[in-house]
Amino acid sequence: MREEISIWFFGGVLFLIYGVIICLEGLWELNYPLVNPPVLNDLHAPIWWGAMMGVAGLSYTVKFWPKKRRD
Amino acid sequence: MQSHIFVALSTYLATPPTHSLAHLNAIDIAVIAIYFGVVIFIGFYLKGKSNTSEEFFMAGREMTAWIAGLSFVSANLGSLELMGWAGSAYQYGILATHWYWIGAIPAMLFLGIIMMPFYYISKVNSVPGYLHLRYGDGARALSAVSFAFMTVLMSGINMYSMALVMKVVLGWNLNFSIWVSSITVALYVGLGGLRSAIYNEVLQFLLIWLGALLVPILGLIDAGGWTNLKAQIGTRLGSEYVHLWSTTGHFSQNPMGIHWTGLVFGLALVISCGYWTTDFLVVQRVLSANNLRSARMAPIIGAAFKMAVPFIVILPGLLALAVLPYHLVGETQAVATGQHSYNEVLPLMLVRYCGPGLLGLGVTALIAGFMSGMAGNVSAFSTVWTYDIYGAFLNKKATDQHYVAMGRWCTFIGVLISVGTAYLVQHAASIMDYVQGLFSFFIAPLFGTVILGMLWKRTTKAGGFWGLLAGTCTAVGLFLWVHFDPSALRYVALSADAKTLAEDMYRALWSWLVCVIVTVVVSYATKPKPLSELEGLVYGVVPLPVEHDDHWYQKPIAWAGVIAVLFVILNIIFW
Repeated sequence: MREEISIWFFGGVLFLIYGVIICLEGLWELNYPLVNPPVLNDLHAPIWWGAMMGVAGLSYTVKFWPKKRRD
Repeated sequence: MQSHIFVALSTYLATPPTHSLAHLNAIDIAVIAIYFGVVIFIGFYLKGKSNTSEEFFMAGREMTAWIAGLSFVSANLGSLELMGWAGSAYQYGILATHWYWIGAIPAMLFLGIIMMPFYYISKVNSVPGYLHLRYGDGARALSAVSFAFMTVLMSGINMYSMALVMKVVLGWNLNFSIWVSSITVALYVGLGGLRSAIYNEVLQFLLIWLGALLVPILGLIDAGGWTNLKAQIGTRLGSEYVHLWSTTGHFSQNPMGIHWTGLVFGLALVISCGYWTTDFLVVQRVLSANNLRSARMAPIIGAAFKMAVPFIVILPGLLALAVLPYHLVGETQAVATGQHSYNEVLPLMLVRYCGPGLLGLGVTALIAGFMSGMAGNVSAFSTVWTYDIYGAFLNKKATDQHYVAMGRWCTFIGVLISVGTAYLVQHAASIMDYVQGLFSFFIAPLFGTVILGMLWKRTTKAGGFWGLLAGTCTAVGLFLWVHFDPSALRYVALSADAKTLAEDMYRALWSWLVCVIVTVVVSYATKPKPLSELEGLVYGVVPLPVEHDDHWYQKPIAWAGVIAVLFVILNIIFW
């Protein structure tokens, strides 16, 4: 049996998934530029924003991973 | 099966709409779909932890200060709050920040430091529940019925606002937006009760920040920094758009047509205190805290985050004034001419700076904002209906299981009424203005009734009831007076130059004053309750429980002081 899942764990997992998806999308755009890029696209926001989200998400996922309940 | 649904959904949403500003690609759809999956999973996961009424309606009173505090702010951060105030910033400039700072922070600190002990130690389940203990059934019934009615109406208006923006910006079908989002909210609140609503609100709060924060960051780079932004707005529109207080000496000197007395006394003293300390939608989150210290810290933590919200709501509106190559107009003109309205400024800025993936995250943030507001409304509605109307007047002796079942059904019924309201507003847009006005009719006098009841032993049952009624009638009367004779504005808002928001401030102030005066006069003319019946309900009757804090940083008052100092500094910086 494991402890109740913390809300921070849910947040961590969601951020991790989003971070990976958005960062990969940013990296993909380096090789396949967008036809209609948004303003300031040269700053490559998806790469660094996605990476930051991924790191934050990973740290929360690990920190709040549901532990085995001590009986 | 699920993959078929996903493909169908992707095809539907990714089809380029005929008149939309942007469309989402598969990555964006995946980001949004993952969000929906997680919130529904949370509802199912928490279903087993909401079996008793205490668990379903009050989240078992087990929330930490951080969770209750974030949920407290998030429940207020609905779609009207996000998109509406960003639009107001475009329309009125930095003055819109007052609704986040002086219109929220002092009231939140007041709730945490002064009022929370009475709510918490009296162990009431709702604000009408407190009125019942202090004033009896009359005030409880008046407050519960008006709250339940207004809550579902406001929820429907929020829903319609979000669906309209999604239609204009992304080309989404109105029915699709309304039904998918409301069914999701009904599922996770109906299954997991307040605990599920709170868990999701915390998640939604984080998502709102993540999804919206890039807009001001990239916008400031685009505009060349804050100093350049101020200079550009000043050149285009005038410096009154970038000052908080220096232009409020006269109604005609600022774009909002407001005077500082209206902001300080009408907004900060009455409307804001009324909303943040007596509106059960937000107070319910704090009542779920696991002890008195957490209950007092929750609004203080909430105040810290609330103070930062203008960065993701007001700043995008200001940036739009400087960087958007076209001009936004009011809703009526937008419908007539096909231009974009003020209310679309936040999604327009998202589209400007966010490509695939980030755009999906931004849209998820807007949907999350809508859902947190709606979940707050329906969970508060089901609690007030079950405890203060059904359990108090219609069926007093039912079992605990029966009340939980009633709460679950009320959640679904509340959502259905909200959907109905959304369609009603679609066909009669002017209802929106009236309902928002109607909401303010109840809040200001209710604050007068609650605060006198908490701080003054002499307040009587008759005083509370007649004060509340007189204050509400004053608000309605002043509204109708200006509605039928616009020249009356010079008396109600103290100036013919005053505009709508200023009128709201002064109307609230006068109705609150009438409530307080009538309550005091009637209380002196009637017999007070014996002190033994006021224990735990009124200041000075019994000593409040002493909190033993080992360190200064454990004291709520210390953190309230830090927030208050920051609040003053920010107001001086942007004076």
